Amino acid sequence: MTQFDDAEDDATPVTAQRPVSDEARSEWSSVAHEDMNLRAYRAAIVAFVVAVGGGLLAAIAYWTSETETLLGVGLALALGGIGFGLVSWSKYLDLDEHVVQQREPLRTTPQQDADFEEQVEVGRQTVGRRKLLVGLLGGSFVSLAIGFVGPVGSLGPRPRGERDSTGWAPGRRLVTLDGSPVDLSSGIFDQLATVFPDGMIGRDDSQVVLLRLRPELLSERTIDDGALDGWVAYSKICTHAGCSVGLFGVDDREPDVVRQLVCPCHQSVFDPTDGARPVGGPATRSLPQLSLGVDDEGFLVSNHDFDRPVGPITWDEG
Amino acid sequence: MSVFDRFSRGDTDDAGEVTKRRGLVERYVDSVTSRTGGGSFVTKSLRKVFPSHFSFLWGELALYSLIVLFLTGTYLTLFFEGSQEVVTYTGSHEPLQGQEVSAAFDSVMRISFEVKGGLLIRQMHHWSALLFVGAIALHMARVFFTGAFRRPRDLNWIVGLTLLLLALAAGFTGYSLPDDLLSGTGLRITNGIILAIPFIGERLAYLIFGGEWPGTDIIGRLYPVHILLIPAAIVAVLSIHLALVWRQKHTQFRGPGRTEQNVVGERVWPAFAMKSIGLLFLTAGVLTAMGAIFEINPVWLYGPYDTAAATSFAQPDWYIGFLEGSVRLFPPWEFRAGGFVINTLVFSGILIPGIVFGGLFLAPTIERRLTGDTADHHLLDRPRDAPNRTAAGAASIAFVAVLFLGGAQDVVASTLDFSVGHVTTVLQFAMILAPPIVFVITKRTCVELRDRTGPERTERRVPVERTADGGYHIPDDQLEDWMLAGGAAPGHFDEMADHSTVRGKHAHRDESDPVHADEEALDEMRDDAGADR
Repeated sequence: MTQFDDAEDDATPVTAQRPVSDEARSEWSSVAHEDMNLRAYRAAIVAFVVAVGGGLLAAIAYWTSETETLLGVGLALALGGIGFGLVSWSKYLDLDEHVVQQREPLRTTPQQDADFEEQVEVGRQTVGRRKLLVGLLGGSFVSLAIGFVGPVGSLGPRPRGERDSTGWAPGRRLVTLDGSPVDLSSGIFDQLATVFPDGMIGRDDSQVVLLRLRPELLSERTIDDGALDGWVAYSKICTHAGCSVGLFGVDDREPDVVRQLVCPCHQSVFDPTDGARPVGGPATRSLPQLSLGVDDEGFLVSNHDFDRPVGPITWDEG
Repeated sequence: MSVFDRFSRGDTDDAGEVTKRRGLVERYVDSVTSRTGGGSFVTKSLRKVFPSHFSFLWGELALYSLIVLFLTGTYLTLFFEGSQEVVTYTGSHEPLQGQEVSAAFDSVMRISFEVKGGLLIRQMHHWSALLFVGAIALHMARVFFTGAFRRPRDLNWIVGLTLLLLALAAGFTGYSLPDDLLSGTGLRITNGIILAIPFIGERLAYLIFGGEWPGTDIIGRLYPVHILLIPAAIVAVLSIHLALVWRQKHTQFRGPGRTEQNVVGERVWPAFAMKSIGLLFLTAGVLTAMGAIFEINPVWLYGPYDTAAATSFAQPDWYIGFLEGSVRLFPPWEFRAGGFVINTLVFSGILIPGIVFGGLFLAPTIERRLTGDTADHHLLDRPRDAPNRTAAGAASIAFVAVLFLGGAQDVVASTLDFSVGHVTTVLQFAMILAPPIVFVITKRTCVELRDRTGPERTERRVPVERTADGGYHIPDDQLEDWMLAGGAAPGHFDEMADHSTVRGKHAHRDESDPVHADEEALDEMRDDAGADR
């Protein structure tokens, strides 16, 4: 019979949906008091006290400049205390109701459908009768839309072949981030440097990885395309999605001596000994190679610009 | 005597006599409703019934993290500077002193180091964003696996998915604003994906970024999008979402007394409101604690964006992980014809996410086509009750989970001490194989669970006796069975009764007075029962 009693309490609020008489109210509250969940009551008290303390803690933390952690902890205690207190309070009140409400029908009746169609038809026969006006109004809207295309176009210039050229030009020195040129004889093998055209440090489309590899590792076409005395230079912009290809891996264990350029974003792997062709990951195209020369003072220069766009390409740059 | 009584004025009749004493709240609410005619709506709303189940909390959690997002975000806008103008960092973080950074990055540094409490608010904002999208995802999973996306809520499923897309857009734009190395790299990848779009890619990229990458406009443009356009859209779409929930009423799990025609639960006021407001504060409390204790997005470690730099273990916020994985795992395929190329990014960056979201948008339609079920559903399925749906959902999650892992394949590889290439290959196979395997296992499990006969599947039939005065009586020896079957206490048997037998006759009855309507239904039921005798 205990279950019976519990269930009765559960269902009690159902009666509350009728106008609440004083009798019913007192009956309800007496039931609640009889059944009061003391633990939840105490929990609510503790929670609200913690909340009060938390807010004060936050204030003190701010004034004493303990804002790194303590301020947040105080605020968290205040917020969490209120939240926990409210939930405990509702537990204490034992408000788990089982109230039944009927759903309203969502679908229309045939009568409503007919009324709607009739009303639409009224509009069609009055407004829609003047075909010329309807047509002109439609035309006005289209024209309005066209008129607004211009200002939208101002958001960005029309592409004018900027992607076809970079800062590299015949005889342009390669300089490192601190502006110093690279001496042909200076390189340590297997060390990566990021270089830019002289005077254009930081220019995005001209970033280049410069490596000195042992010449016997280089493939013929890499040498043909502008490797010089073991120096190879490639566009640093990954042809996959455009990140900077900043990782260089060396593995000298025979028989597979490996040199790899790796893009840290999506793990595309390129072989710098063979024209930086893609050998792993999602990249499909090799990194454009910069043809290298040397000037009168013995510093590395570019022979000419890249022969194709750098980085990820557009659909008509294939 | 309540606290309010002391302040109450009470209504007066013509003679100026106080006829009824009213509380402060009632008087203020009435001052509005008596001018708007909203009185019955307010009462009806307070009495509105919400079924309760722990899985119904995810949507609320999303809502409440959004509130935290709005509040913390507003605070941040008072300090953030949406500009790429180059300035020299002179703040208190020594390692970056003297570096040239954008004004945006500089202001984020100021928020993090100089503004008292700024770092807390900033970290709360970031954690809230992560929770916001997470709660939406869990909410969506609940809605899917219980079949709550079926008619009539197929409409709200689409509204909700739109909210998810807006949430992702909000997350991505917000993540990009600090102009640090990680977020700048993310924007660069976005630029690459846009460039790859056939026909319009290059023009579109120029329009969005104000010219060739990186330009000087994008942060200044993302800023109003992040703090005005997307939040406004979220508020608008969320309003529709909640209005539909209100109008269509919440779904409920099957149970005694629960039918397609009713909704059984607790009233908004006070039971539901009290718990839900409690949840709001708990959510805010937890997010504040996380903001205070757990470091997130330490941009001072990443440094300002530098187009020639990139960093290892570069993972975006979790909700972009599946897209990151798609871009990492998709094989190096591209198609060329006549000088034109369909770049691999078109597949991995546009097509795959397109399929994922397309599938989600079409889920109600696909299920309707496959099952031929066009009826309205208000009762939820347990996942096991719809093995094919559950299996399809699990398979989709498996696919997205593999993509998500793929987005961190370098981390996985270094953790497990495998080569990145091997991990990638394994995940590529998993991308193809995991969904069907998960489908089969899930379906099998569902069928086993569904067909298992256990105590919970036994239908109890409890004889109920009619009393002389027209009421009902459950014999004492049957009471226990009745209670075990989930029945209400006998005294309230009428409210708990399944009214399905009389529903047809009351298809259009006014819901504004459910009590009266129910009594009317009960009378009819009694009549029916009487006639049967």
